[in-house]
Amino acid sequence: MTSRNLLREARLWLIGIPVLLWTLIPIYHIFLFSISTKESAFSGRLWPEHPTLRNFGIVFRQDHFYLHHFWNQIWNSLWIAVAVGVVTLVVATCAAFAISRLKVKGGRTVMNAALFTYFIPAAFLAVPMYKAMGTYGLLNSRWSLVLAMVTIASPYAIWVLKQASDKLPWELDEAARIDGATPLQLFRLVYLPLMLPSLVAIGTYALLLSWNEYLYAFLLLSHENTIPLAVGLGHFLASDDSPWEILMATALIYGLPPAAIYYAFRKYMVGGLTSGAVKS
Amino acid sequence: MLHGISLDISDGEFMVLVGPSGCGKSTLLRMLAGLEEISGGEIAIDGRVVNEVESKDRDIAMVFQSYALYPHLTVAENMGFSLRLRSEKKERIQSRVEQAAKILNLQAYLSRYPRELSGGQRQRVAMGRAIVRDPKVFLFDEPLSNLDAKLRVAMRAEIKALHQRLKTTTVYVTHDQVEAMTMADRIAVMNDGRVEQLGAPLELYDRPANLFVAQFIGSPAMNVFDGVFRSNAVHALGTTWPVAHSSASAGQAVKYGIRPEHLHIDGASGIPAEVVVVEPMGAEAELVVKVGELPFTVVTHGRSSAKPGDRIFLKPESANAHVFDAASGRRI
Repeated sequence: MTSRNLLREARLWLIGIPVLLWTLIPIYHIFLFSISTKESAFSGRLWPEHPTLRNFGIVFRQDHFYLHHFWNQIWNSLWIAVAVGVVTLVVATCAAFAISRLKVKGGRTVMNAALFTYFIPAAFLAVPMYKAMGTYGLLNSRWSLVLAMVTIASPYAIWVLKQASDKLPWELDEAARIDGATPLQLFRLVYLPLMLPSLVAIGTYALLLSWNEYLYAFLLLSHENTIPLAVGLGHFLASDDSPWEILMATALIYGLPPAAIYYAFRKYMVGGLTSGAVKS
Repeated sequence: MLHGISLDISDGEFMVLVGPSGCGKSTLLRMLAGLEEISGGEIAIDGRVVNEVESKDRDIAMVFQSYALYPHLTVAENMGFSLRLRSEKKERIQSRVEQAAKILNLQAYLSRYPRELSGGQRQRVAMGRAIVRDPKVFLFDEPLSNLDAKLRVAMRAEIKALHQRLKTTTVYVTHDQVEAMTMADRIAVMNDGRVEQLGAPLELYDRPANLFVAQFIGSPAMNVFDGVFRSNAVHALGTTWPVAHSSASAGQAVKYGIRPEHLHIDGASGIPAEVVVVEPMGAEAELVVKVGELPFTVVTHGRSSAKPGDRIFLKPESANAHVFDAASGRRI
């Protein structure tokens, strides 16, 4: 290894290690709390004297005042996240196909207008959104959060999918047209299979976005039985003496599904399927 | 973009559109395919005007330069795709695909994906996709441009053999005049959105209608230079160049064209020249010589004993000399 490479490597490590620590320390902190007893949680040790899984048992048995609806709330989180993922995918895929492949007039303008909404902070839109959902009688329905999250996720999703579908060779569409494909057949038989990696990535993005959403969930849903777990976790902080070890155990459980989903679909986050379509 | 083009392609003919890039040959082909809107004129296939007919209903098949194979489908699925869209029965699709695969020697690859094939194999799959449909017209858009030189020659012969076997009307676009000459029944030489000349390959070679065709067709290219016509000869470069027949009038400014193989080398008399480069190729030799300051290409059969710096004499074949009007470039 030359000294130049060594320097490069050293610099990468110098940046990489702090970033890694920066990310991992809070997670370790959560983990540490979740395996500690209430008494030792704030002891300041790097490993508890008597590690215990008792906290997880309490969570799973819903054996705490704040956790009476734990299973219900995690189900809400899951239901809403999957619904947001699916609806966003449907909306964004159709939009991207229309803009990028069918070259619908004004398509780009619509996409740019949608992207423009990101200039307005989501917090500003919360009140109008609340009013709109109230008008439609959707408050306290899981659908209100789904619709709100789809609204927030779609512009980005459309943009990403449009970029991805612009990269598909145009000759494929022409070949399919000559082969006799209608636009719908083109969409179903050529476009969707080739877009699969991007679709998985965008679906995962929308799903995780809504899984992690707090503000809109807190505003639009208020009943113990309809709120997702993110809001349920927030309730822990309502009292002066929060049960931190149980909060952290719940948080750790709450953090596992996104990690699992990301791990399962990691190859789609970078993958490409179009090799062999045209000579490159 | 295209001006006053009128082409009549007869049933079973192999028509090649050839020209430099940007001459409109691909646009013309895409218009035939229905991939490009046309603003005026008429396109008819088999007597039916198809201006307003969608690509899929024109009964044509197209082979793209980039192959345009569906990467997520196997070779068999790629070839059977058009039949699947028409909801044909599975057995029928399979038998048609197998038939086409047999013609193209692709049986062993039917369950492979395009990314697992070589360039030549992909090109054959693209042709298979066209054959399976049994269309009225095959359209080829520079199908061999992405292949290496050796494969190109092999595929050229394959496509020609295929045409002789299937006898399907074919329109073939290429920028390679060798491809055009070797494959075509008739060639349309295009330039700048116009058809410069339409005719059989050797007809274009022997009697190019204008300077553009004269210089585009033939390799190495025709030698062309300015001169003045006077009594069955062109006076140029301080000497006279014989012409057997031309309708040029005396004193007219013309361009004189002579193909490299129609210039013979004579040891004793003729037009004096100096050898600059000798390129022996075995069966023939290509010489670059200078008459005055103007470089000429000369092709001799067999081998040449000439060496750079040698003084030689050129004898043009007057029967194969071409005279063009200097201003319009038209053959006279």
